[in-house]
Amino acid sequence: MSDPAQLYDAILTGNAKQAEEVTNAALAAGVNPTELLGNYMIPAMDEVGKRFECNEYFVPELLIAARAMKTALQILTPKLAEAGTEAAGRVVIGTVQGDLHDIGKNLVASMLEGGGFEVVDLGVDVPASRFVEAAQEKNGTIVALSALLTTTMTQMKAVIEALEAAGLRGATKVMVGGAPITQQYADEIGADGYSDNASAAVALARNLVK
Amino acid sequence: MHLKLIACEILYREFCWAAARSPHRVDVQFLPKGLHDIGKVGMNARLNEAVDGENGNGCDAVLLGYALCSNGLVGLKAGTVPLVLPRAHDCITLFLGDKRRYLDYFQSNPGVYFKTSGWIERGEQLEQLGPESIQTLSGMNQSYEELVEKYGEDNAKFLMEQFGDMTRNYSKLTFIEMGIEPDDRFEQETRRQAGERGWRFEKLLGDMQLITDLVDGNWDDERFLVVPPGHEIATTFDEQIVKAVPSNSRP
Repeated sequence: MSDPAQLYDAILTGNAKQAEEVTNAALAAGVNPTELLGNYMIPAMDEVGKRFECNEYFVPELLIAARAMKTALQILTPKLAEAGTEAAGRVVIGTVQGDLHDIGKNLVASMLEGGGFEVVDLGVDVPASRFVEAAQEKNGTIVALSALLTTTMTQMKAVIEALEAAGLRGATKVMVGGAPITQQYADEIGADGYSDNASAAVALARNLVK
Repeated sequence: MHLKLIACEILYREFCWAAARSPHRVDVQFLPKGLHDIGKVGMNARLNEAVDGENGNGCDAVLLGYALCSNGLVGLKAGTVPLVLPRAHDCITLFLGDKRRYLDYFQSNPGVYFKTSGWIERGEQLEQLGPESIQTLSGMNQSYEELVEKYGEDNAKFLMEQFGDMTRNYSKLTFIEMGIEPDDRFEQETRRQAGERGWRFEKLLGDMQLITDLVDGNWDDERFLVVPPGHEIATTFDEQIVKAVPSNSRP
């Protein structure tokens, strides 16, 4: 029987194939899916985040780890649902209207999924009304906004205003990021959080759903 | 007046043309294109160094042939003489001559990328900036072969898809003709590149007014920011784009 601890290593080293094999073997051996997630998978992604912050890991390592995590999660999700284990939270993510850049947004989306969040990716050039509609679907949703350009970042404020106008601001947290975004700007538009990298974005989202 | 212009080489022909016709003495220094790729901190350091080099050299003002450039100018300090810069998000405003004209065009043309003479014939030093660029520092600037070696073939394929191309969602290439080009070589090159990528081509007529007014000293508050000594550049997050704040106001 394979050791479920191997799942930790498979995710840490971005080995999706091994992650799949170990997950299947562990489930077949009767390992509790919630424990598999909590004892091996989430800790592995937390370690990935730590290594990124210490400049031991870079963007490629983040991406392949998140991919291995996602592979294991896909197998686990139906079992977790049966066991009544819920996602860490729900995040609606997108690049704001007028902005077509998505490399950073996709990276954050992958890391959030790896962190156990349900992620709804609205894509690029997303109008404020689409964020509102998606936030409306479930209370407590986090809206995550991305922009690469100083010409488009002002759309973030428009999204926050649209959430307010729809009466959703109280039940919705807003996090922002992207090259031109700063904590000062996040504060100025009344966002709930700002992160300057994909790893810290996961910690931020966890704080927002506490 | 004796003015010192520090400009991005993407505006090389335009500023040379304007400086030659200015009523003032304009000393010109060009810095490499693409400084925004090394991030706010790196770009800021390079510009601060250039600006510091000018203080005490007897000029009346230091002109910046730049825009906000992804916040690359934020925190740039005026030394003993004022700094003057156009109120603009990026160089397209300088080429089109008006920030509203740029915004209108940008908003009605999502996915547009621009070309001018400087885009096409400048940028030899881009490779020197390479090692300092955000792409390189974040590990995204690796060849497929390097990725295979480090992460295996399966992951390398996945990573190539993820990194993609920053312009993968773009669909249009717009050539801005400034009216100072020797012939249509730059337009033809832009047409060729648009064809190669399968993007639509458009030609716009640029406007030299903002560029000439910067070097001529016509600095009205609507279009230019004058940063007095002891102050630095900050963003306004509105249509003013930039403002001057006292240098000691930030920790």
